[in-house]
Amino acid sequence: MNLSHFEALALFGLLVSIVFALINKTSLKEQLKYGSLVFLSFLAVAFVVAWLMFPFPT
Amino acid sequence: MTDTIEQQQEAEPTPAPTSVLLEPKGLAKSLAICASGWLLPGVSHFLLGRWGRGLMFAMAVLAMFLFGVAMHGRLYDFSPEQPLHIFAFLANAGIGLPYILAQRMGWGVGMLSSPNYDYGNTYLWVAGLLNYLIVLDAFDIAQGRKP
Repeated sequence: MNLSHFEALALFGLLVSIVFALINKTSLKEQLKYGSLVFLSFLAVAFVVAWLMFPFPT
Repeated sequence: MTDTIEQQQEAEPTPAPTSVLLEPKGLAKSLAICASGWLLPGVSHFLLGRWGRGLMFAMAVLAMFLFGVAMHGRLYDFSPEQPLHIFAFLANAGIGLPYILAQRMGWGVGMLSSPNYDYGNTYLWVAGLLNYLIVLDAFDIAQGRKP
């Protein structure tokens, strides 16, 4: 199984967000809101770090 | 007047059902529930009547574990001669029975040449670590500390 870096990150973020949301919040509405926030934070931080690393030579 | 109050009560939206605090269980029983949750992810929540959460936990953690194996990640053994591997072993072992079964079936050997090897390792570690968190959550529920 070969995933791109972004696919692996998105899948990882999704699964971790589900667990974090269920642990930290009790109602379904709160869980959806918190889980979405954590998942989007994963993606946002990845984009920011990728952008910061862009000038460095590979 | 009575009709008006009844009409108002009918008009008000009923709050969504939320879990209630359980009666605190004994320490031995709580630890037994936690041990079952460590062996099989999600089972501790099933035993506490939290079926939906238990199912979601089981699916998320087992999916992460299987993806880690499919990405050719490595499952670490307990090897005291390599002290840093102990941390990797503790993280891997957090998933419980699936770790033992995967070892027996020869999975999780780790293929360094695979481009996803490092991702696979991370998935396998985090699956185990998340299961530790889930077990601690079950302990809190069993002790009546959280709904």
